Amino acid sequence: MAVYVIRRVLWTLPVILLVILLIFSLMRQIEGNPFRQTERAVPQAIQQNLERKFNLDKPWYAQYAYYVKDVFTFNLGPSLVLRNRTVNEIVKEHFPHSLKLAILAVAWGLVIGLPAGIASALRPNSLFDYAAMFFSNIGFALPNFFVATILIYWLAVQNSFVPTNGWPSDFWDFTDKRVILPSFALGLFFMAFVARLIRGTMLETMQQDYVRTAKAKGLRWRRVVVRHVLRNSLIPVVTAVGPLIGLVITGTFVIETIFSIPGIGRYFVDAVAARDYSVVMGITVLAAVVVIVANLVVDILYGFLDPRTREARS
Amino acid sequence: MAVQEPQALDTRTPAVPAAGTAAGAPVRQSSLWRDAWRRYVRNKGAVAAAVLFILIVLYAFLIPGIWIVPGIWTDIVNDIDPYNVDFSQANQGASWAHPFGTDQFGRDLFARAALGGQVSIEIGFAATLVILVVAIIYGGISGFVGGSLDNALMRFLDALYGLPFLPFAIITLAIVGTVNIVTMVIALSIVSWFTDARVVRGQIITLKENDYVRAARAVGARWYRILARHLIPNTLGILIISMFLSLPTVVLGEAFISFIGLGINPPDASWGAMANEGRDAYRTHPITIVVPSLFIAAIVLCANFVADGLRDALDPRTRET
Repeated sequence: MAVYVIRRVLWTLPVILLVILLIFSLMRQIEGNPFRQTERAVPQAIQQNLERKFNLDKPWYAQYAYYVKDVFTFNLGPSLVLRNRTVNEIVKEHFPHSLKLAILAVAWGLVIGLPAGIASALRPNSLFDYAAMFFSNIGFALPNFFVATILIYWLAVQNSFVPTNGWPSDFWDFTDKRVILPSFALGLFFMAFVARLIRGTMLETMQQDYVRTAKAKGLRWRRVVVRHVLRNSLIPVVTAVGPLIGLVITGTFVIETIFSIPGIGRYFVDAVAARDYSVVMGITVLAAVVVIVANLVVDILYGFLDPRTREARS
Repeated sequence: MAVQEPQALDTRTPAVPAAGTAAGAPVRQSSLWRDAWRRYVRNKGAVAAAVLFILIVLYAFLIPGIWIVPGIWTDIVNDIDPYNVDFSQANQGASWAHPFGTDQFGRDLFARAALGGQVSIEIGFAATLVILVVAIIYGGISGFVGGSLDNALMRFLDALYGLPFLPFAIITLAIVGTVNIVTMVIALSIVSWFTDARVVRGQIITLKENDYVRAARAVGARWYRILARHLIPNTLGILIISMFLSLPTVVLGEAFISFIGLGINPPDASWGAMANEGRDAYRTHPITIVVPSLFIAAIVLCANFVADGLRDALDPRTRET
């Protein structure tokens, strides 16, 4: 197991390097980026000094190496638009809000989606099953900006249960009413996805021979479900959660814009509009690292849950 | 996803068997597609989804054309023009003249939703096709050649999985500089083909070991013939399914990008861009965001149901559960 974990962790290193290389080479192609010299009307001497300061006089691979070094030492450089701010400060200020939003959204999905899916699978084709799958299909198809707008209209404008927008400034404040709507709107897709997935895999697992054996040897049904069905059905769910983290990040961009949450996604959208490329690049690298680390954690969890994969991969 | 039973899709062997391979195959082949069709038609939900899907596509592609056709709706010819701004008609509710009402500029939402649908559906299908082609080439090479090349290509794919979808698509748009249907297709497909490539590779690897492929090889078929005649046609079923599975992702991706204002720009429309415009007026005039959003939801839902129906039809084994 230790070998498997170490291998898997070491493997993320080249992955991160490659992803940074891709982002780096893409950013060099953007018009008006700081790597190009023609679009900046400054005296020759200043241009040369700037280039030397930011290592832009070096060849691209050296620039890449410098950037990698900066990423690994957590120094993402200055913002190109807000001269007195660094990308680090921006990330430190805005990222926790997005992280909190994502965590709460995933929590909605696990707290509601998982039990609903399990209950559906235990009584397939029951009224509850139909209702749950109906809502799951809706949650799956409705774009989250629509869900968010409808929820605001209904719960905030018409009934004023909750404020229409805003976000608590304190990261640890999880009880503020303002977190409910954004996290639910973001989590609905996840909820629907988890419910459908666990239902499907449980129905499949219940057809397996070892479940029949467990039943035949006289185990109580509850025990069969918990011990045999559930444990084996959770494995695909864990696998699916990894790639879904990427989708949750995608969702935060939209949700943060709607609810005026000072998160990193909304800042990214503004930075693209303002052509603040160092910020755009820094946030993209950050998002990539989050996705990669999420996949790493999922793979390791997977190894713990399912010994078969551990042997196959190491 | 359930692993596809390879034999179930073994339906596209040539009508005239090549050099005496698999006698009797032509008799089996057509009936299997017909079986799949029969199974699909029996699934009422999937049929309803397919019908609704076709209706939405027809609506999107026919309505914007109708106002130009002389003699049809001549009295309201201006009202049905999706670009026609008329402030005296702004923010109207649903009526006979305007089935979905009008937006804050007095543009008819029935025509505009069709125009937006055209853009969204075009982007959706074009991006899905690009994804398929890239996936077939990448996954096909990886699965067919095998060995260390396969290993290298798959490790590279693992790395690409680290790319965050939306930021990367937005950067791609920024590089190209202009936003139109073509650039949206590029931006959306560039980060979406990884899973399909894996599916193709998996399918090719399973098929490669099949007896009829060995038989073809034994009678001296060249590698490109095996690839073109046996392997790729037999991944067709799974590819049609995955096409309908990736369509929702692409349509929603386009909607997200346009909704946050970095995609299709007014006066052109896509469903996402329409929702963005409607968002400002959601308190007083919610229909402007409801109409495009429900269209997105309908097309996504239909695509999912069609994919489910196709999977059941092409791979009967999954029906048991």
